[in-house]
This record gives sequence, C-alpha cells and structure tokens, in this order.
Amino acid sequence: MKILIIEDEKKVALALKKGLTAEQYDVGAAFSGEDGFYLLNSQKFDLVILDLMLPKRDGLEILITMRQKQDKTPVLILTAKDRIEDRVIGLDSGADDYLIKPFAFPELLARIRALLRRGPGSQVTRFKLADLEMDLVGRTVARQAGPIPMTGKEFELLEYLLRNQGQVVTREMLAKDVWRETQRATPLDNVIDVHITRLRKKIDEPFTVKLLHTIRGVGFIMSEKAP
Amino acid sequence: MRIRPVSVRLRLTLWYSLVLALIVVIFSVSIYFFVKGRLFRQMDHQLRRDLAALTEVVTKEPDEAREVEPEDSSNLFQVVRGTSLYYQSPSYQKSGLPMITNPGPDKYRTVRVRSGKAFRLMTGTTANGFVLTVAENEGPAWGTLEHLFVILVSALPAALILATLGGYLMAGRLLHPVAAMTEQANKITAENLSERLPVHNPEDEFGQLALVFNRTLSRLQSAFVRLQRFTADASHELRTPLTAIQSVGEVALREDLDAGDYRDRIGSMLEETARLTRLVESLLLLTRADGGHVSFELKDSDLTQVVEKVIEDYRVMAEEKDQQLVMDIQKGLRARIDADTLRQALVNILDNALKYTPSQGTIAVKLKENPDGFIVEVTDSGPGIAPEHQEKVFDRFYRIEKDRPQDVGGAGLGLAIAQWAVVANGGRLELDSTENKGSTFRVVLPK
Repeated sequence: MKILIIEDEKKVALALKKGLTAEQYDVGAAFSGEDGFYLLNSQKFDLVILDLMLPKRDGLEILITMRQKQDKTPVLILTAKDRIEDRVIGLDSGADDYLIKPFAFPELLARIRALLRRGPGSQVTRFKLADLEMDLVGRTVARQAGPIPMTGKEFELLEYLLRNQGQVVTREMLAKDVWRETQRATPLDNVIDVHITRLRKKIDEPFTVKLLHTIRGVGFIMSEKAP
Repeated sequence: MRIRPVSVRLRLTLWYSLVLALIVVIFSVSIYFFVKGRLFRQMDHQLRRDLAALTEVVTKEPDEAREVEPEDSSNLFQVVRGTSLYYQSPSYQKSGLPMITNPGPDKYRTVRVRSGKAFRLMTGTTANGFVLTVAENEGPAWGTLEHLFVILVSALPAALILATLGGYLMAGRLLHPVAAMTEQANKITAENLSERLPVHNPEDEFGQLALVFNRTLSRLQSAFVRLQRFTADASHELRTPLTAIQSVGEVALREDLDAGDYRDRIGSMLEETARLTRLVESLLLLTRADGGHVSFELKDSDLTQVVEKVIEDYRVMAEEKDQQLVMDIQKGLRARIDADTLRQALVNILDNALKYTPSQGTIAVKLKENPDGFIVEVTDSGPGIAPEHQEKVFDRFYRIEKDRPQDVGGAGLGLAIAQWAVVANGGRLELDSTENKGSTFRVVLPK
C-alpha cells in the first residue's frame, strides 16, 4: 500500500513517514504543494495525507485539481484549522476524512485503515481474542466459556476495542466514537479510565492472561501479548 | 475620531453672524420706512391744516388771502379763480411750482420742479369757486432720511464685526471643554487606561459626553485588565505541562535506561501533551465563544435524555469514588437547546461536583419543569464555596485554593465553559453554596 504525505512541516512529515513505514506502508513524502502535486501526477498512490496550509500550492487546491481529473485516491486532510466550516469545505471539496492537529498517531492509523478498507465490508457479528468471545447479535460476552454480565457502555467499549484489536486506541478516539463527544475540551478522560478499569475487572482480573493493556500516554490495546 | 474645535467654532460664529446680519438688515429697512412714513404723514397733516385755514380766509373774503403774511419762507400757497391766477404767495412764485386750476383725483401729490426740488401739494376748492393749493418743501424730510440712511448703513458693519468677534470668543469659551477633552483623549493609550477625561460641567452636553466617554474607558480598562490577567494565567497554565515535558525528556536522555523505562518516560511526556492539547482546545473554545464563532443550533430536543446520558456517563465515576449519585429526573421534557453544548455544560458541572465531593458524599441531580423554565440542579456535598469566591468561580482560570493539587484542580476553565454553554442555550447558571455544606449549581433554561 502506497501512501503519499504532503506536509510542509518537515518534522511532522518525517515522523509520520517513519511511523507509517514501521506499519509496513510504502510511504512517500513531499514538503511543498508543488512537489506533492508533481509526485501525484507521476506515481500512483493508494492514499494521500494532505496538509491544508502549504507553501506555493494550497492543499485544498491540490485536492480540487485531483478530483477534477477524476483521481479518486482517498485523501485524508490533516490541518490545524478545526472550525466546522473548514471541515465542511474540506469534505465538500472531495476529502474522504479529516484529522485535526494535534492528533494521536494511533488515531491516524485507525483512519488510514478505515479508508483503505472501504468498500463493501463484511458485517462482523462475533469477535474472538484468545479465550474471550463476544457476540454482537446475542449481546453476550464470555471468557473461558463463563458468561460475563456487562452494562451497555461496557459492551460498546469492548466492541470498539475488539474491532480494533491489536491496534492502539486513544482516549480521544473513545470519546469521539464510543461517547460521541464532539468537543475536545470536554473532560471525559476520567470517565473513560473508570470504564476501562471496570471492564478490566470483568474480563481480565480473574484470568492469568491479560488482554486489555494500557499504553501510558497513548491509550489502550487489546491483544494477547503484552505490548 | 478627532474633534476639530476650530472648525466648529468658526462654523458657529459664521452662522451666528449671518443670522444677526439678516436681523439687522430687516430692522434697518423697517426703521427707514417707518421714519419716512412718519415724516410724510406729518407733512400731509401740516398741508391739511394750512388748506383749512386758507379756505376759511378765502371763503370769507378772497382778498384777505393777500394779507396772509408769510410766517416763514415755507408758506407756499396759491389761489386760482376759474382758469386765471388770483393770488400766489411770494415763496410759491419763487419755487417755480405750476399753476393748478383743477383739484385732480389725488388728495396729496409730490411735484418735482425744474430746479430738482420736490414739493408736497394739496389742492382744494372753496364754496365761492376758488381753487386753492398749498405746498410744503419735501427737502428737509429727505435730508433727515438721508441722515438716517447713513447712520444705519455705517452702523451695520460695525455691529456685525463686534458681534462676530464676540461670537467667536464665546464659541471658543463654550468649546473649550472639547479641546481639553481631545487633548486628554489623545494622551490615553493602553498604558494609562486609568486616566479619565476632564468633566467641566456634568450637566451640559459636553460634560455628558465626557461622562459617557469615561464610562466607556472604565469598561475598556477592566476588559484590558481581565485580558492581561487571562494572558498571564494562560501562559502559566501552558508553562506547567511544557516544563514537565522538558524536564522528563532531559532527565531521560541523561540516564541510561532500558527500553521499558524509556517508554514510560515518553508516555509521561505524552500525558502532558494531552493535557496541553486539552488546555489549548478549551482556550480556543472560549476565545471563539467570545467572538461568537462557535456554531450551534437551537432545536427542539429531548432534554431528559441529554441529562440522563450525562448522569449515566458519570455514574461509574461516582461508584468508583464511593459517592452516592442520586437523581430526580422529570421524564419527557423537551426544550429548544443545542444538545452538544448543553451536554458540555452539564459534563463540566457534574465533573466539578464529583471532583470536590469526598468519598461517602452525595451528589444529587434534579431535572424539573417550573413556571420559570427548565431547571437542572446539581447539588454536591463538597466543601462549599465561600461567599467571596462565589462570583469568581466562573472566571477563567479562577481557583479557590491556589495550592490545590493539579490532579484535582484542572485548569480552572470548566465552569467558565459551562457558563458560556448555558448562556449560549439562552439560559443562566446560578450558584448557591454554603461553606462546609456543599454547593448547588442550577441551570435555568427558558421554555
């Protein structure tokens, strides 16, 4: 999978390139709108990560030109402009997703995965991780065949974690996707932490193999191996 | 805006002089015609008396006319019988006036003789068939009028000059406060906002203007002071996590650690970054709220559901802290609100209540409808807020105890955001608090 990063802030661009390369993506980086535009015209990419405020050629301009040329490569906008109007302009111009700076790298990964996965995805109804099983239709959770009772929120939380198993999930992603909080300023971190603690008590505490891990400063991950 | 007293002064003076000139001209013309009328009426009166006397003489004895001795040279008359002259007074003869045989239609006439002199004539008839004419020299009357004319015409400019000068001085005196105000206003900058304009007379228009301006300055000053304090607080709050990031990073680099420890240090730095991000988001939100740039939409929403959802989010928090979270929620209430913003307010209020309530304490949330509107009350059993702090708890970065531990305190923006969010929803946020007993935050939303 080839990803092009068009971002004039070199430090950010190089960090992203490093991070994405580590995730087995084939990454190209351009530090100006001109270079990015040239790369887009000479190579084929599966995804473009585009900064909006670029020297020489504006990100929005690149996006509009791409769409005019019937180039349907998914575009993820990265920007410090976070007003709803800016978001609407970006998405209306043909962007597929939008991430506001500063952002958490795991969230960027999650969104890239979602964009590359797009299309008729199969409807998942069951998750399994080690001996933990979750049935979305019957709304049951069991570990080592023993059923675990859950509250509605815990169920939603576990579903989200399992859907992203093996991947880091940040508190911000949880706030946005599980608690549906639109404002970053709202203090939900404590609420999230408490829910994680309770979930852990139910699915991990009685068992020797721990599945829900905390990554300090970043978020949480569901995996058999400790990270 | 620059006030130009000179120009206003000049304009005032010019208008004043113009009006005055007009009045003086009208006045002079009136006087002239009044005096002229007066003089001619006097002359006509004299003619009538002379004619009456002459008529009496001629009717009795025509020859007596010759005996009417000229009292002075102005005694002008003639007596005509049919078409022939019967008698002419010597001065009449000298004046060069014509012989008049017919009384004519006009009672009084002015006749100008060849020498250029003008005479006023009156002609009458007697019962015994004489035609009598008496005359008066108009010269002296015209002389008086000419005199008057000269006086009026020469007095007009003099009066005007005096009035203009006086007006100019007076306008200057009146406008003096404006000049003083301008000078003072020019000196007021961001550095000396505490200075005020001079108020010469609080009753007059300029005094009023100065008072209004001073009140504006006061508001400006307090806004400026608030802004300065806000900037100072904001930089302090930003500096704290920055310092943590820097020192954790620097110390980690000095030491020789294994990967797990490095990961832990980086994690610690990322935690501070998250705090920094949250702070910047909050500041941005408040700044936008000040400018009215936050987009939201008031629409009919399920208020009960919004409140219940927030409580649901915090129920586990309370349980975890061993606090009682009791609720008394009226079902099925709908209100015109922006659910996201209101939710933000409630989350911040509830978060605050949980933070300050000790374990075993109780937090009660009530939602009800009353004639005032919809009321959401969050009552905690925390330490309460002393009266001197109650107004200020909604200020940005305000903390009751400056040394409150960071993990409890937050940045001190939560209640400021809550208040903005409630007001944006058309409501108000009230606080009742008793020290050592607890606080009640009350959201009142309009129906």
